[in-house]
Amino acid sequence: MNPLDQARLFITRRHFFARTATGLGAAALGSLCAAEAGGKSTGGLPGLPHFAPKAKRVIYLFQHGAPSQLDLFDHKPALAGARGKDLPASIRMGQRLTGMTAYQASFPVAPSIFPFAQHGQSGSWFSELIPHMAQVADDLCIIKTLHTEAINHDPAVTFFQTGFQLAGRPSMGAWVSYGLGSENQDLPAFVVMVSQGTGNAQALADRAWGSGFLPSKYQGVKFRAGGDPVLYLSNPPGYESPARRRYLDDLAALNEMSQRELHDPEIATRIAQYEMAFRMQTSVPELTDLSHEPDSTFEMYGPDSRKPGSYAANCILARRMAERGVRFIQLFHRGWDQHGNLPREIRQQCLQTDQPSAALVKDLKQRGLLDDTLIVWGGEFGRTVYSQGTLTETNYGRDHHPRCFTMWLAGGGVKPGISYGETDDFSYNIAENPMEIHDLHATMMHLLGVDHTRLTYKFQGRHYRLTDVHGRVVRDIVS
Amino acid sequence: MCSARVALCVCVLTLSAAERPVEFNRDVRPILSDNCFTCHGPDAKTKNIPLRLDQEAAAKTDLGGGRHAIVEGSPEQSEIIRRITTESKAKRMPPVYTGHAIAPRELEVLKSWIASGAKWEKHWSFNPPQAADPPRVSAPAWVRNPIDAFILERLDREGLKPSPEASPETLLRRVTLDLTGLPPTPAEISAFLADRSPKAYDHAVDRLLASPRYAERMAYRWLDYARYSDTNGYQFDGERSMWRWRDWVIDAFARNMPYNQFAVEQIAGDMLPNATTAQRIATGFNRNHRGNSEFGIIAEEYAVEYVVDRVETTSAVFLGLTLGCARCHNHKYDPITQKEFYQVYAYFNNVPEHGRAMKYGNSPPVTAAPTSEQQAEARVLDGKIARLQSAIDARAPLTRREMESWRSTLTGSRTSWPLASGMEKDLAKILYDIDDRFTVSARVQSTAVPHGAVWSRMSNSPRGRGLGLYAKQGMLHVHITSDYDDDAIRLNSKVALAAGRSYNVLLTYSGSRMAEGIHVYVDGSEVEMEAELDSLYRPLGNAGKAFKEPFRIGEGGGPENKFNGVVSDVTVYSRVLSGEEIAALASTSPSLLYYLDSAASPDLRAQWAELAALRRQREALERTFPTVMVMAERSERRPTHILNRGQYDKPGEVVEPGVPAQLHPLPAGVPNNRLGFARWLVAPENPLTARVAVNRFWQMMFGVGLVKTAEDFGLQGEWPSHPALLDWLATEFVRSGWDMKAMLKTMVTSATYRQSSAATPELLQRDPENRLLARGARFRLPAEAVRDSALAIAGLLDSRIGGPSVKPYQPDGLWKELTMQDMDYVQSHGRDLYRRSLYTFWKRTVAPPMLANFDAANRESCVVRESRTNTPLQALNLMNDVQFVEAARVLGQRMMLEGGATPAERLRYGFRLATGRLPHDSEAAVLQGSLSYHLDYFAGNAARAGEFLAQGESKPDAHLDRRELAAYGAVGSLLLNLDETVTRP
Repeated sequence: MNPLDQARLFITRRHFFARTATGLGAAALGSLCAAEAGGKSTGGLPGLPHFAPKAKRVIYLFQHGAPSQLDLFDHKPALAGARGKDLPASIRMGQRLTGMTAYQASFPVAPSIFPFAQHGQSGSWFSELIPHMAQVADDLCIIKTLHTEAINHDPAVTFFQTGFQLAGRPSMGAWVSYGLGSENQDLPAFVVMVSQGTGNAQALADRAWGSGFLPSKYQGVKFRAGGDPVLYLSNPPGYESPARRRYLDDLAALNEMSQRELHDPEIATRIAQYEMAFRMQTSVPELTDLSHEPDSTFEMYGPDSRKPGSYAANCILARRMAERGVRFIQLFHRGWDQHGNLPREIRQQCLQTDQPSAALVKDLKQRGLLDDTLIVWGGEFGRTVYSQGTLTETNYGRDHHPRCFTMWLAGGGVKPGISYGETDDFSYNIAENPMEIHDLHATMMHLLGVDHTRLTYKFQGRHYRLTDVHGRVVRDIVS
Repeated sequence: MCSARVALCVCVLTLSAAERPVEFNRDVRPILSDNCFTCHGPDAKTKNIPLRLDQEAAAKTDLGGGRHAIVEGSPEQSEIIRRITTESKAKRMPPVYTGHAIAPRELEVLKSWIASGAKWEKHWSFNPPQAADPPRVSAPAWVRNPIDAFILERLDREGLKPSPEASPETLLRRVTLDLTGLPPTPAEISAFLADRSPKAYDHAVDRLLASPRYAERMAYRWLDYARYSDTNGYQFDGERSMWRWRDWVIDAFARNMPYNQFAVEQIAGDMLPNATTAQRIATGFNRNHRGNSEFGIIAEEYAVEYVVDRVETTSAVFLGLTLGCARCHNHKYDPITQKEFYQVYAYFNNVPEHGRAMKYGNSPPVTAAPTSEQQAEARVLDGKIARLQSAIDARAPLTRREMESWRSTLTGSRTSWPLASGMEKDLAKILYDIDDRFTVSARVQSTAVPHGAVWSRMSNSPRGRGLGLYAKQGMLHVHITSDYDDDAIRLNSKVALAAGRSYNVLLTYSGSRMAEGIHVYVDGSEVEMEAELDSLYRPLGNAGKAFKEPFRIGEGGGPENKFNGVVSDVTVYSRVLSGEEIAALASTSPSLLYYLDSAASPDLRAQWAELAALRRQREALERTFPTVMVMAERSERRPTHILNRGQYDKPGEVVEPGVPAQLHPLPAGVPNNRLGFARWLVAPENPLTARVAVNRFWQMMFGVGLVKTAEDFGLQGEWPSHPALLDWLATEFVRSGWDMKAMLKTMVTSATYRQSSAATPELLQRDPENRLLARGARFRLPAEAVRDSALAIAGLLDSRIGGPSVKPYQPDGLWKELTMQDMDYVQSHGRDLYRRSLYTFWKRTVAPPMLANFDAANRESCVVRESRTNTPLQALNLMNDVQFVEAARVLGQRMMLEGGATPAERLRYGFRLATGRLPHDSEAAVLQGSLSYHLDYFAGNAARAGEFLAQGESKPDAHLDRRELAAYGAVGSLLLNLDETVTRP
């Protein structure tokens, strides 16, 4: 953008701020285009953050389909003796099951066939499927006692993403960009990337990063590997950037004529949005272009990382977004729904995700970004200790299990190198320190400097919040 | 949040309250409701909180020790004021943890209200609207109709003046966009400017209201309220077919159906006496909610969600109430108990439905919904069939004599006399799945008690996938199985076949996916079948995979199911046979049908064959009828329980259907069922329905409702900006016979509507949201109109009304990257690319990206308030989406072909197409500069122009210079991106 244009735009906008009490009106600059030139965090609500944040941004690595806690983190050596025996009724306690296994005649206990070992100073347990995560054991805060109300994918993902099982509420990223705004004037505040696994993939929905009843500008912007990284980002074929610059100058000139006549603040906002769009046409390709990353980066994130759209490549992008101040970065990796052939399928999923997930922790750490970036890893529920379908020496499946499952957090003010919460010997019920999804949300908000009870939005007469009427900050995991 | 509340106060209080005494409903209750009612409101009892502030008596009662929350006339003695102002953090109200605080200004309001006697009023919207006479105003000459008197009266009080009338061009563009969602054409503009009569504007309004474009524009907003979609939602999000309901809505608006009838037919059209097909289709309104077909769900859980959705949607759309808030506990703000929620729930809880939705297609109950063309075609066929049938009937005595003489020539014996016409001869081609209709007849006999498969199409295991008819120790057993455990239909007969006898066993299936679609006959008589399981929802060929098992006779489903006798005389038809045909197949002696089919004279047989062919044609036609999900009533009422904490598996007390006690009772003489509820909704005593409806019309015409919270007229809703006007409109609406077009006409012909929307700095400061309407409203077009306008300006818009939804351009892979394997977006072609946006296929989990970008409602649940944002993604969308690039280059072509000879004329023409007016000189100069730039830009580079012009499927005019055309196309894009083009002026 040439300086003259910049100055003109700046003057135009100042002019409006000076002349109207509310500045840019109802549809004012939002999270997408929040920052004033030279400013820091903008577009958020006044009074936020409520207190000094430990994390400035979040990278949420959503393992979609629900990874098995029993085969990755929640080591249950005692299960070896129970192999093939029916899950004791004293453990199951008549809990509701999904329609997929409710009709099973028996519930044979299926211990993991993968060896476990302790790692790092912390001595946390990892199975052989995730050797790279094991290397960063002392950076992770492993929570073994998440539990949820939902037992099917769609409501469970919706619950994780919005704090409620049914569609209609804003996603966490939307809440965060609504409350805290953006730290980058050229990139969206909330970005989503989806990668495909090898295993049984369940459907996802736009609503997982939707804005619910918040204005739609707070919804996550999906970055994609094929075609435009952001929908409609590229100019049409045959139409290049210099022409677009000229075009935008003419458009602004015409729009400013209307604005002088009508004094509608929305016109000024629209002019600014077109400029933001133009900047995104540069900033987004610059962000997604990995060609200048050194070989060492790709070695760190593993063989998949040179493949655009892979989980590994998305992890590198996540780091680049963190560097550029994107507030909420959410990856979804599909394919964890291992109802059958779990040993084979989970191995493939881990090959795709273990190394890049760990690399992200290492990479942020070496760049000094881990301290103020919160990384979250986990799925929408856990998996059952009993086998879905036939249990053999080498094969089993696991159904959905909402009553306990494992996630890990890293950086951003969480205690590193700890394991929080205990499940019973079957990883079926929680023995101590249960943690609800609402608690996780409350804690994440706390790390971002937000009191989850005070970030609200009035809709249908009610002051809604991400944690509904629940949620407690789990201070045991906050450093 | 805080800022939003402050803004609201600024708007409502500082602009209005200064000279007026405090009014409970307007000033006081909102403070109490927002800050106190969560604990001290209608739900206080469940929390064991003794003080209630939502009821006068309770709020003024002795709290013990002589303390009173509110002491009339004495703020000092009122506990409520003490607790708000106390220094003690522990005692202060509202408690810090709630995040609420009483602002100093609010405290003053409370004090002055108590000081002046703490007068209580019923919540305003629960009182019937009062038709007040329009007030006297400062400038009676400005007043065109009563709306203006109410608006001006408020402006007078604020010391503001209305703005001058907008220019004729602006006015026509405004009203055309508001009423039809499209910009006016140059011809319409010219005609309007040329019409000097004082009625010119009225005539334009009449013309617009009579246009089919009006009905489409009204319909698309109604689709948002009704959460209309072309897919089921939730996890799998398979396709459904509700477009016949959508077309019913368009038709209702086109015919200007009175709003009360519009409401009754959608809520309970099926229960009206002699309900027509159209009235049944109307009830699709409450089947538009999402349906869950995820494998493994607990059906009862979702059966509850569907009913809750109906209550929430119906109450939001018609009553402006958030009844859903009382699902788990008494409403926190409004006087609605949890019990009352379930009483309303009971009206909608009697649908013969299953909690798990069909994976593909419509979930029962459904109705066939032929289009008018299909109905006409059916009538023609029925006429032909009747004529031929009567010709055959006329010679019946003769036919019978001929048949007798034929019979006397028969020798030997036969066990069956199959009907040849329509019989499937190649059993290898029989690949019936769950949606197919068929009849299979067979003769079975065994020396033992019959056991095993009569026929099947099934994998080789007893609990495998497939379908078939079996004998199980003599009992007949039918199954259609996608998954044995919970995705199947299984039926068993109550009586057994005996050993040693020969039987004709015949099965018909209607393709309904329900047990009720299966009928079994033994020797021509129907046998009673008991359903063991009736929960089929996935086809045999699932997730894009073919189901290859062949049709087998006497086996299928494992070796243990090999039939233990003889199966013979198998005949298969791809339709449901009539009773007469079934009897003919069962009979061991030849039937009249057999004779006509196979043995009569060549002439008669030819006639009979023609009739049979017509009947097959009729049946084939019927199979193409679209269906639509509708409401229906179970024969036996399903009991409704209060669900503790709203959970499906925590049923409590049983409740009867009923309406909330705070509102008027059911009208005399109506039944206490869903139809009675619908009549209650539109009863003259209902204080809400008319207000809520006119408020939404106002929102459509002015951008914001008189009550901004269009979805909530309860205690937490906004106080109306013009209460007396709202009441006048509501009473006028009812008085006019709920005439929607008349109501809109009143609004758009008011002087208020006709004002210029140019703001002044002073006005922007006084009234940034323009709630006082001292100027015309100006706001960005709704998503649908942004796209439709571009197509109309380019001349691409396709004008066909209704029909199945279409799939315009969409970036590749959007569905695939989120959905299951077998779902991909298959783009439409040709004219379907240019249909109005209300016909765009709506997939709930992956909404059409352009519409979603421009703030379209999400269609997951009911949305009645319009929302508008302004983002860079919208800019990218308008500049780069192929739909808009194509529209831009076609607009460029239109400028060249229709605009005139010179560039200046062409640019003026294009500008007028886009904005409805001619450019000023300064604007024309910018356009000219842009054109020159782009002529240069493309001139040196033919490849560039070629690429640019290749956008979209329509072909550029080959006679035009491609580089010039590309340059005009680029200017076309500039015009489509103007703020003015995407704004209703």
